[in-house]
Amino acid sequence: MATNEKPKVAFFDFASCEGCQLTVVDALQTHLDLLDAVEIVQFREAMTEKGEDYQIAFVEGSCTRKSDEERLHRIRKQAQIVVALGACAHTGGVNALKNLHPLEDVRRWVYGDKADWYETYPARPIDAVIEVDAFIPGCPIDREEFIRVVKALLLGKKPSIPDYPLCVECKLKENVCLFQVGKFCLGPITRAGCGAICPTYGDGCEGCRGLIPNPNENAMKDVLAEAGLTVEEIMARFTMFNTYPLQEAKR
Amino acid sequence: MSLMILDKGAVAPLVNALMADYRVVGPQARGPKFVFDTITDPSQLRLDYNTTILPPKKVLQPPEERLATFVRGAKPQVETVIEAQPTVLLGVHTCDLHAIQLLDKAFSQEYPDAHYLQRREQTVIVSLECLEPCDEHSFCKSMGTLTADEGYDLHLTDLGASYAVDVATERGAELLSKYGTAREATAADIKRLNEVLSAKWPRFTYRLDFDAAELPALLSTAYDHPLWDELGERCLACGSCTNVCPTCYCFNVFDEVDMSLAEGERRRRWDSCQLDEFARVAGGENFRKARAARQRHRFMRKGKYLYERFGVLGCVGCGRCIRTCVAGISIVDGFNTIYGSA
Repeated sequence: MATNEKPKVAFFDFASCEGCQLTVVDALQTHLDLLDAVEIVQFREAMTEKGEDYQIAFVEGSCTRKSDEERLHRIRKQAQIVVALGACAHTGGVNALKNLHPLEDVRRWVYGDKADWYETYPARPIDAVIEVDAFIPGCPIDREEFIRVVKALLLGKKPSIPDYPLCVECKLKENVCLFQVGKFCLGPITRAGCGAICPTYGDGCEGCRGLIPNPNENAMKDVLAEAGLTVEEIMARFTMFNTYPLQEAKR
Repeated sequence: MSLMILDKGAVAPLVNALMADYRVVGPQARGPKFVFDTITDPSQLRLDYNTTILPPKKVLQPPEERLATFVRGAKPQVETVIEAQPTVLLGVHTCDLHAIQLLDKAFSQEYPDAHYLQRREQTVIVSLECLEPCDEHSFCKSMGTLTADEGYDLHLTDLGASYAVDVATERGAELLSKYGTAREATAADIKRLNEVLSAKWPRFTYRLDFDAAELPALLSTAYDHPLWDELGERCLACGSCTNVCPTCYCFNVFDEVDMSLAEGERRRRWDSCQLDEFARVAGGENFRKARAARQRHRFMRKGKYLYERFGVLGCVGCGRCIRTCVAGISIVDGFNTIYGSA
């Protein structure tokens, strides 16, 4: 990005709630100087104009149908840098929960007798379809992390996303461990970076930022079982945001 | 230097007076646990605490701090930032006091760490004798940290209605005379103090199965012990054991720039040898990839490596790593297992 021109940025959405893009809008309100650093040419959530000339593409949502693939390839072809924005794009997110059931059942469940009208297949993160240069985890993303990633990209650096578990942030904040007050938490195997926001407010981590590298899943299951969860309850927690990576790891 | 008596009723006025000139940090309640934090009202101080989630090392080496500011570009500039202020650290148990003495060695030898050392210099330590164990996990008696005769400016022992105050430094004496109202101990006070100190020892029953002085030699035979693989199976690699350890001091350094990309700051944050990426180097090689190897490293640091480097064991028996481990890994059980199979 060593030109005097401001880098052109575009935002795209696939299967998602658009909450991560809303977080970006939110971040733009508190960090107005972001708009001095980049030029946004396409952002359906926030503007009418649609420029197709961009260098950085932020993609929210997972790939859930054949036509998504073509659109993702078009984005990849144009953009120098593609960033997966949020859990759906990064790990498949909650969308991938449907992968645990027969596709036909899921379609009937959601669309009823109109199921044949809608194209859909198992949900995947976008890096299952195209090469991704960086990712911003979370459901939704953390706005300060979004800003840090943008700054890193502008500097031509690889964004640094924590690869250590949530327990680190939680402990450094000196929160009382939820396991010590009879609650459950996926913090020991979940990627940090959110400031341990859920445990800080007393709710166990649900793993929205994805798993750390080399997570000890078996030990985590043992700990949850020891704390009183049934196998079904443990699996419900594990699969909430991480169905896709867990299934891929088994392949 | 001298032994003084501070009535318990005089503690709050002392803290109040100190707050005018110092940041006063002491144990406070947080939910069902305790933490060291800045006192804003003397009633927050809980000298009856058992143990804290993080040790008081957080006052001397904060979990995250700014090291320098910089300006990028054609004429780059770097300015060191030292975030230190006059601080009174109240209620430090003797295990943590021993740990601070180890940190003092670690941060002053070879490459003196100005950030730590300036904070240390500006911190007056008022420690507190433990008269009973924090809970079932503390094994300070084994580690020789059940009491202390140095490392503090003032040292308190609870005599019931008052504290005996061992005044160990000029700084401590000044603090007490300027901000507090204490009287000199009488022969009766000294007798009472000796009774209290003698009575405490039998209460501390949790110990290693062997003399801790044997640890370095014992561990030198244990590099290939099957224990490490067993711990590697159970360990979640969450890093909590080292983050709560009063003698762990590893940190990671990183830069943050502002939106102009022209200015920024260099910061550091606690790091942990238990984390997957800790021993990863340029090129992607990871020298301690297996959780078993990382746990072995922790045990070796505590029982052998730090001893070889600083002449004191790296474990002070506070029990925090045992309390915090959701997988139930115990350093006492680990050391005992190795001893039992040697």
